[in-house]
Amino acid sequence: MAIYKRRYVPYTGSLTPEWARFFVTTRYAFAELFKSRFFVLLLILSLVPILLFAGYIFIANNKTLQLLLPTGPADMFSVESKFFTLIMIVQTQIAFLLNCWVGPVLIAGDLTNGALPLFLSRPFKRSDYVLGKLAVLVLLLSAITWVPCLLLFSLQAGLAGGGWMWSHLWMVVPILLCSAIWILTLSFISLAVSAWVKLRIVATGVIFIAFFIPAGLGEMFNSVMDTYWGRLLNFSEMFRLILAKAFREQSGILGSTRWNEIPIPAAWGVLISLCLLSLVILNARLRAREVVRG
Amino acid sequence: MMIPTIELNGLEVQLGGRTILHGLTGILKSRAIGLLGPNGAGKSTLINTLLGFHSPSKGSVRVLGLDSHTNGQALRPLVGYMPENDAFISKMSGVRFVRYMAEISGLPPAQAMERAHEAFVYVGLGEARYRPVGTYSLGMKQLAKLAQAIAHGPKVLILDEPTNGMDPPARKRLIELIREIREVSDICLLLSSHLLRDVEETCDEVLILRNGQIASICNLVEERRANRKFLELETIGAEQSFTSTLEGLGCECAVFSNGRIKVVMPDKVEIREVFKVALDNGVQIRRMNHRRDSLEDIFLNAMEQTGAVDGHI
Repeated sequence: MAIYKRRYVPYTGSLTPEWARFFVTTRYAFAELFKSRFFVLLLILSLVPILLFAGYIFIANNKTLQLLLPTGPADMFSVESKFFTLIMIVQTQIAFLLNCWVGPVLIAGDLTNGALPLFLSRPFKRSDYVLGKLAVLVLLLSAITWVPCLLLFSLQAGLAGGGWMWSHLWMVVPILLCSAIWILTLSFISLAVSAWVKLRIVATGVIFIAFFIPAGLGEMFNSVMDTYWGRLLNFSEMFRLILAKAFREQSGILGSTRWNEIPIPAAWGVLISLCLLSLVILNARLRAREVVRG
Repeated sequence: MMIPTIELNGLEVQLGGRTILHGLTGILKSRAIGLLGPNGAGKSTLINTLLGFHSPSKGSVRVLGLDSHTNGQALRPLVGYMPENDAFISKMSGVRFVRYMAEISGLPPAQAMERAHEAFVYVGLGEARYRPVGTYSLGMKQLAKLAQAIAHGPKVLILDEPTNGMDPPARKRLIELIREIREVSDICLLLSSHLLRDVEETCDEVLILRNGQIASICNLVEERRANRKFLELETIGAEQSFTSTLEGLGCECAVFSNGRIKVVMPDKVEIREVFKVALDNGVQIRRMNHRRDSLEDIFLNAMEQTGAVDGHI
């Protein structure tokens, strides 16, 4: 199909491996995202707290600087599990906001003008499509949650010495595990919403509603039935519960006094169920052709 | 032995609790196949089944020997699909959109970019390739859809109503492109259209659907070669005996409403014998048109018939 000949010529060149094609959608989605200045600004702002936390770690490990500061006792600068729990809380909340901005456009853009049949008529499965879009959110949210958290952990380990690292190495598991469940929950929910709602502003609203309305209903249920099981509908709280248990946190930094009421497996079950429900919605919605019943 | 382009083996498709395709059986061997039928005949359902979007409830369909349901992953790299409805990513530039689709088909990025540019120039949208697809006119969107369908060099090109919304010059250009693609490569073509002229100009064989059943499979090349004598009669008083007598002479008759009769005459029968039969049966011939067979006739004949037809006419 050379331009100068203006004739159709079949393609006879090499092909990329099938397993890697899902990443094409990821690459194109990132390219579209980075065209938006607002997104770039949002991404930079989401990393600002990491710089502040890094500064804190630096001060905590620098006695000279501590003496220069007009603050109280030097032992207020401690980098323990409470500190990393705080980092996780801050960054996962920022991840929620970033997800609300990025997630709604990922699938809706393809569905608005019926591009899905073009994807699915090629050697490209629905699972590849979902995986490609999921990778966008997973990579993006990882970049502002567990990756900087582990970098801060490394920074602290480097400044405090080997002894600190070995005694706190257990924290790597909760950092990875809690980030993973929260990133997957957020990603699946926003992809499911994106597959149903085409307008970004409405989809963003629906994501907020998906988190806050069930929480409100749960509290109502608790008041009426005089129980605490309604808190299962507060997904953010379920995540904080997992976070607190994983980081062995008893200091109340997570803002609740009734942490032991809901069993941890129930909290995990709620978040995993949310992911599965989102997958069911995606499965129902991501079809090359819609079938009208009746 | 040559592999048929499309092989239908009792294909039945149910959607939403309704049977859309009723046990289609037939073999289409030509490289350019037209798919005809009125609205709701099942053309799009058949195309969607060929693409693996719908699963057969019974039977199977093979494209180039590959079962569309059980061997879909092997079939899809061979297919280029131009859907009937809007199918694009509106914010992307035309060339980027085609490159994206080519990469999804497995082309490496550099080759996908090259092929996207070539495809855009080839379909005549070279000047508009950097504009967002959402800003294209309807005709340009059709061409962009064709570009994405051919960019990865498919073996089977499935075009669903490709000339929809195009003005006559654009339609003519697109039909020329389709014919050229067919002629200069070994690509197989399946073109679904409600415009008989589009199919007649581009296809060698037609599959006519009606109410989810095969009304006719007709090899246009053979029909053209046969160049049969064709009479269109407008009669008064024509009874069953009139057509029976003509059929006794070796003619094929199709009776339509208001006394219209179409007669295909064998070489040995002269027109004067038709007049003689009419005189004998007391039939008035008010108008007679002598013409050769056309796709329109084949289509109308298929539409008038009752019940499903398996095989060729």
